[in-house]
Amino acid sequence: MRTDVQISICGSAGEGTIAAGDILRNALAGAGYRIISFDAYPAEIRGFGKCVARLRATTEQVYSLKEKSDVLVCLNDEHGIPHVADVRDFGAVIYEAKSITRLAEGGHVSAHVRPGQVPYPLPMRELSERATGAIRSRNLVVLGYLAGLYALAKDPFLRIIDTKFKGKGAVAEANRKAFEAGFAAGTETFKLDMVAFGPAATGLQSVMLNGNAAVVEGCLDAGIDNFFGYPITPATTIMERLAIEMPKRGKRLLQTEDEISAIAATIGAGYTGARAATATSGPGLALMSEMLGLGIMAEVPSVVFVSQRGGPSTGIPTKTEQSDLNMALYGSPGDAPRIVIAPTNVEGCYRCAGKAFEMAERYQTPVIVLLDLYLSNRYETVVMPARPPFEPNCDKPVAKQDLGAGYKRFALTPDGVSPRTLPGTAGGMHVVTGLEHNEFGRVNEQPDNHEAMSRKRHEKLLAALHHPDFTHHKRFGDEGRVALGLLAWGSTFGECLAAMFRARSDGIRCAAMKVVMLQPFPVAAVAEFIDQCEVVLVPELNFQGQFARLVQAETGRTVNRLDRVPGAPMAVADIIAEAQRLIAATRRKAA
Amino acid sequence: MNGTRHHVIIGTGVAGNQAARTLRQREPASRISLLTLSALPFYNRYDLPRVFHGVHDWREFLVDPPTYYDEQRIELRRCTRVVNVEAKRKTIMLGHNEELPYDTLLVASGGRAYLPEELSEYRPLLDGFASFEDAMAIRRKLPDGGTLAILGGDMIGLDLARTLIDTGHRVVLIAGKHTFWPHQETPEQRQELLQVLARMGIEILDADGEGGIESIQAGARGFATRRVVFGNGRECTADVVLPSFGLVPSVEFMLGSGIGIERGLLVSPTLRTTDDSILAAGDVCQIWSGVEKRYRFYYGWKNVRAMGDLAARNLTGDDEAFVPAQDETLHIQDGVTIHSPFWEYA
Repeated sequence: MRTDVQISICGSAGEGTIAAGDILRNALAGAGYRIISFDAYPAEIRGFGKCVARLRATTEQVYSLKEKSDVLVCLNDEHGIPHVADVRDFGAVIYEAKSITRLAEGGHVSAHVRPGQVPYPLPMRELSERATGAIRSRNLVVLGYLAGLYALAKDPFLRIIDTKFKGKGAVAEANRKAFEAGFAAGTETFKLDMVAFGPAATGLQSVMLNGNAAVVEGCLDAGIDNFFGYPITPATTIMERLAIEMPKRGKRLLQTEDEISAIAATIGAGYTGARAATATSGPGLALMSEMLGLGIMAEVPSVVFVSQRGGPSTGIPTKTEQSDLNMALYGSPGDAPRIVIAPTNVEGCYRCAGKAFEMAERYQTPVIVLLDLYLSNRYETVVMPARPPFEPNCDKPVAKQDLGAGYKRFALTPDGVSPRTLPGTAGGMHVVTGLEHNEFGRVNEQPDNHEAMSRKRHEKLLAALHHPDFTHHKRFGDEGRVALGLLAWGSTFGECLAAMFRARSDGIRCAAMKVVMLQPFPVAAVAEFIDQCEVVLVPELNFQGQFARLVQAETGRTVNRLDRVPGAPMAVADIIAEAQRLIAATRRKAA
Repeated sequence: MNGTRHHVIIGTGVAGNQAARTLRQREPASRISLLTLSALPFYNRYDLPRVFHGVHDWREFLVDPPTYYDEQRIELRRCTRVVNVEAKRKTIMLGHNEELPYDTLLVASGGRAYLPEELSEYRPLLDGFASFEDAMAIRRKLPDGGTLAILGGDMIGLDLARTLIDTGHRVVLIAGKHTFWPHQETPEQRQELLQVLARMGIEILDADGEGGIESIQAGARGFATRRVVFGNGRECTADVVLPSFGLVPSVEFMLGSGIGIERGLLVSPTLRTTDDSILAAGDVCQIWSGVEKRYRFYYGWKNVRAMGDLAARNLTGDDEAFVPAQDETLHIQDGVTIHSPFWEYA
């Protein structure tokens, strides 16, 4: 029996919503299900905004969350009510059986459960209080109830609870009791919904990671030496996790006083030959933009992870968006070419992180890895490679005979990449400056020199389009000419893939292409894809159609935009609806 | 007529749903809310014995698909317990602590299974047959060829009994004064009816003849699941014991509302209570019979549906009296089986 169950848990900040989602996804992954999971939470720390933990547990590979959940758990009425409509017919709505305050008409979740949905009132407070003496373990009661109702094994849950609350004896014990109380209630409840967990896959050697954790694994497997960072949502957990792992490997991490220091230190470390990185979000990247120019001008390897969030300014810092593409591509003074890559899923975060160090070294330039909050915080089960698939050293060494007084650090070479010496190399002394310079590194403002050096800095990056063992772009779905082509980057590609499968099941010839290498841009491949599609739709999470404009500028082809800024992942239904509208319009025109 | 009135109906059985249907037809613009304790939309309880013929999906029992309620703009609120009606404020207090105002209220909360006081201590050992969930629970407990003991034997229980005989189960009827409820039969008719039941394959034990029910016990491992022990020391073993003593009206939430209550809600022939804005219909109400000079209950699908329809019409301008629509005679067919009009439904 195939399993495909999506569960949403909804509550206020401080109610344990995200913690419950975390335990649930770990327990289900531990039981052998594939997981995709994404949490939405407010910027406030406690007691204000809404938290939603969503996870999809499957036995087959899937690429996105579903639009409709199979099960909704409402830890409180106010935040639960707007989500009841997101539950499918014959799915389950679990809610607190009784409010402690007098509610006006419509103030209780039960008033909003649709006739096709199955209501499960659960006395969460009462069960928690009876089991633990306090009401705060309601989230554990709910987890137990889910396990009991859907006949899930208790052990994976109890193991996770013990691990999560290790060293907090009384808390762990209380949470166990709350779980058991919920479990008993779940087993006693007559299951009326049409939601079922079949047997999980066996032998799936996977780990569950979110995008930021996968970035960390990629950094570590690529041999990161130094990390410099300043905390900012949603990138902070990269630094937090590296801070735990790097010292174990004898590597160094420093929290700097701001983002400018972080990028400066990263470039400095890169100059010494260390594999160095920083991580930030849009506002931090803005601060780093001037210093990035130095990295480009001085041709210093460095890696910048940017996890996008809603902007501009402080914007909506805990909501996802893809609106920093333009800044990543162009955001520095002058002609400042850099490599920009964007993974589309959690496994891609791992690969892009490791490959970014290779590229930075090989092409001697800053590399920006563009994530977004949805990808950073999204959990997936990932099959990790047996051994790290990254080259430990991609430097272009200097031939002995080229060292000495005539050493040209910025030599003009056929591929644009100059052999590099590290500080302290005998005969490798040279000047490094942010000013325009000649092949020796000495300041030179002559027109011919500026022309040549500008060309060098741009053209050396073109080789990155053929960087080995890296998926620059990939086409999925129907081969040859198709009615509909979906072209996407970053996290939105998962929704595009889901839309593609749905379109094909509706009889539409459809293909989807993901573009991972955003700069330099794979012009030929993308142009060929566009030419094979009757209609091309570019869904993305920004208002300006930043990727669509990039595609049009690079390929000279016209594409259709689907720009959305909901602060949440792209809705598959929106993609399908827009695609159908465009196909119908194109066919009407042709007729 | 004010088209924006909020009609609240307590109960989603035959009466409540028929009332909602009629109200929607007669007042297209009004708000209609249906409240029920059940987790399911209105389904056919008369059909529940089909569970023992292998029908286990509750959707098969639905009278209307879930989309019906949206199409008809009927707000269906399930798992909703009414704890109190404040008639003066025209407000209902719900068990989850929500206030629900109404303009008119129709109480159609039906009845629940009656359990004699002397058996109440054995409730954990007894199974009900009032809902889909109950039916499925019995189905799970009853093995192929297993035994059901029916205490009392009202027409709901006997309907299940005849199905279980068909499906190869053993049925023991522990007969008493509630056997054949709500039919009223003479002692002679009763003896004849019991003989017919025996011919149908139902084993009959007369509770009084056995010295009354002394106790009900749970069996130890390796023994029968349940034992019904009689005053004379004899016992009957079974996998499931079903009390089947008729219904009592569900009116607890109306206590304190100021509405006249005897066993059920007392209503006039036009189904009106002592409060102008509150009517009642179905198994919950006792209707004044001018002929019999007493308040009495009327049972059966046809009667109850007619009450629901009438209540809705009287809420929307009519003022008609209830006319019974149901034959109440228990028939013996060909001397080998019985047929109750209370088993019939549209």
